[in-house]
Amino acid sequence: MLFHTWTFAIFFAVVYPVYRLTKGTRLELPWLLAASYVFYGWWNPLYLILIAYGTIMDYWIVVRMEKSRRKKWWIALSVVSNLGLLGFFKYAGFVATNLNWLLAHLGIGYALPQPDILLPVGISFFTFQSMSYIIDCYRGHVKREHSFLRYAVYVSLFTQLVAGPIERASNLLRQLREEHRITREDVSDGLSLFVVGLFKKVALADYLALYVDKVYGAPGNFEAPALALATFAFAWQIYFDFSGYTDMARGIARMMGLRLMLNFNNPYLADSLGDFWQRWHISLSTWFKDYVYIPLGGNRGGTLLTYRNMVLTMVISGLWHGAAWTFLIWGVLHAAGRVLTRELERSRFYRERVPRPVKQLGVFAFVTFAWIFFRAQSVGDAWLIVSRIATPGRAIVTFVWTLAWTFLRSLSVGDAWRIATSSWTDSAFPLMALALVLAVWGYQFLYESKARTMLEWAPVRVSLAVVLVVYVATFPAGAAQKFIYFQF
Amino acid sequence: MQSVANKPAPDVRPHSGIDLRFGSNAMRLSGRQWAVVGLAFLAFCVFTPGLWERAEKLDPPPDYRIPYDLSNDYWLFSRCARLAEGRGEMPVLGDSVVWGQYVKRDATLSHYLGERAGAPRFANLGLDGGHPAALAGLLRYYGGDIAGGRVVLHCNLLWTASKKHDLSSEKEFRFNHPALVPQFVPCIPCYTETGSKRLSIAIERQMTFFNWANHLRVAYFGQQDLPTWTLEHPTADPVAAMGAGLPTADDPLRHEPISWTARGVEKQDFAWVDLETSLQWRFFREAVETLRARGNKVFVLVGPFNEHMLNDESLKVYAERKRAVAAWLEANQVPHLVPPPLPTELFADASHPLAEGYRLLAEQLWANADFARFAGK
Repeated sequence: MLFHTWTFAIFFAVVYPVYRLTKGTRLELPWLLAASYVFYGWWNPLYLILIAYGTIMDYWIVVRMEKSRRKKWWIALSVVSNLGLLGFFKYAGFVATNLNWLLAHLGIGYALPQPDILLPVGISFFTFQSMSYIIDCYRGHVKREHSFLRYAVYVSLFTQLVAGPIERASNLLRQLREEHRITREDVSDGLSLFVVGLFKKVALADYLALYVDKVYGAPGNFEAPALALATFAFAWQIYFDFSGYTDMARGIARMMGLRLMLNFNNPYLADSLGDFWQRWHISLSTWFKDYVYIPLGGNRGGTLLTYRNMVLTMVISGLWHGAAWTFLIWGVLHAAGRVLTRELERSRFYRERVPRPVKQLGVFAFVTFAWIFFRAQSVGDAWLIVSRIATPGRAIVTFVWTLAWTFLRSLSVGDAWRIATSSWTDSAFPLMALALVLAVWGYQFLYESKARTMLEWAPVRVSLAVVLVVYVATFPAGAAQKFIYFQF
Repeated sequence: MQSVANKPAPDVRPHSGIDLRFGSNAMRLSGRQWAVVGLAFLAFCVFTPGLWERAEKLDPPPDYRIPYDLSNDYWLFSRCARLAEGRGEMPVLGDSVVWGQYVKRDATLSHYLGERAGAPRFANLGLDGGHPAALAGLLRYYGGDIAGGRVVLHCNLLWTASKKHDLSSEKEFRFNHPALVPQFVPCIPCYTETGSKRLSIAIERQMTFFNWANHLRVAYFGQQDLPTWTLEHPTADPVAAMGAGLPTADDPLRHEPISWTARGVEKQDFAWVDLETSLQWRFFREAVETLRARGNKVFVLVGPFNEHMLNDESLKVYAERKRAVAAWLEANQVPHLVPPPLPTELFADASHPLAEGYRLLAEQLWANADFARFAGK
């Protein structure tokens, strides 16, 4: 069930009024749990077994851990259980493929059976959310939750079950315990978040996807301009898609009186890679910081160890996104980027002399370059794209050669120009899409500048909201598309 | 312990003056402001289609039929139905046989009926690919404006010629006008669209605004949504495209107007579906009932059908089906005509006549006493 479909609208139209009626009563949690399980089971009812297993297992482990002196054993059991689940569903195919490749190259005549497993939607998100609770309990950062129902709602809450934000018990579980009324401000803020998210997804992400899918679907058919434009488009597509989902998730939760954490904060305005990771998928970045980077030693062990920890964290983060070498390379690229730029970013020259827009463009260029590996269907495709983009001369040579050759064949200058430029038609990127992206980028620049007050002027906000709603209703991009992050 | 339990969620680097607990943009509206937005949006949805209708020029020439490329534009159908009603023309409804697949618009059944009547009294509201399931939906959702008037309805038994034609095949395939057929009940076995898509179709076809939005897509953006259209026209101005006006009614001929024998088509043995179990026959009856429930006077034309194309076995079954259909119409007091087969050379395929065939058919209709009474000759 996708947020931007009528199915969800009807689902929410049923769930929400009953939730408001039951809020503060004994029925609140059972109702939320039932709604969340219906929402999740909508994809495939078999998934419910998985989430129920994870919930029961982790709840039981924490109960046992509290009474046990050997807490480490219990936390280990939980980590094995959660990562085992994740590993089986997400990485079994990847491991088997690569082992088979290795066995074949070693001349061993045995091949592991290739598992044909459908990755359950959202598994990476709810296992991480559940793990954060157990680790926080182990560390004594949160109290054990006594109500199983409340814990089950915390793990499966439909607003953020399938693609985050990956909540922490200290935030979400606490709110589920507290009793507070849903205010009018909650509803209007929720609506504000939802509408912006809807626009990002329906009007922008799904629009850009049309161009990106065409080019990345067969990169060999395209030249440097189209590949570069598609990469630029993907950078924005993934941002609009994921942050749009998050905005909608946060908006729905907010209407229910729950405040989910901020997950995106205008990441393409970041002026350093460190800054980027504080603005992009914040709930995952902070998860890795708290449960991987800091336990590895963080920045406490000197420069080399700090870099080692940064690299490990980024590589694991890359693999979290998907079981493919492309994701691993993406993680390595970001790790390398962080290591190489960390000292530069700390330098006085960088901080004081380099103009902020230059830093921002530099970070955007690097992040966009890394997206090539994230989006490409294989390492081979990614390499092809990089090599074609990296040889801008090729496109120019093609153009000049076609122009000269056509002219020599004694056609008119006009014909020569038409034929030569036709070899560039594959780069044709819709001007409207470009205008929309630049408008959003400009809006974000304005919002983080002193001119922000202009955007906060009520008539501007209201007019903007009307435009967004009308556009989404009138010109959506085809059928409702899934969110990119559902595959992770 | 309590204090750590209440530790706030990991936060992000603060940016001066921006409330990051809310979000990273200024689109934060109060309840009242949302009410204003809601009203403005509602007004847009309610008034825009009407205003658009006034601004968009549609002055159908004689024998106008909805251009082939706009076959999926049901909002335009609705508008044409309204126009026909306003002009006092009698709608002739059906599939591409009524529309005139192999002929120009001045050689269709409605044209020749008009010629017989001495005035353009018949409006061609045929829908290309309009099988009975689609026709029933078209009338239900978009045919409200012709309520109460006289309607000529074409019954094409070709839609029961096989399980596939009948939509009762279990095997999935794409058929015409899925947005017009029932999305949930009765179940169409070969229709395997997702539940979510079905729901959106079922909801959106009830709302004029979404039908109008679909009209923009079909009429101005080559039957694509705007984003897909801009992909093919990267530098084109969508606003200018919307101002270009509706496509002309003068479609070029879709197919060569030659007879089926000249095409070298061989005799066919159709795997006719039993009328008892036929979905399309059920939908046809539903279409008749929808019209009658709205106070329409309905005249049903059964056929034409290229019986010359059928082998002996198939012809026998077809004759039985024809009798059964006529019996149902008789029993339900629906005036109808089952015309004798047209000469073989006047058919282009299994059911589409050529121009001379339409002329002859109009003659047969005009000579029929029931039709004469019905049409007020």
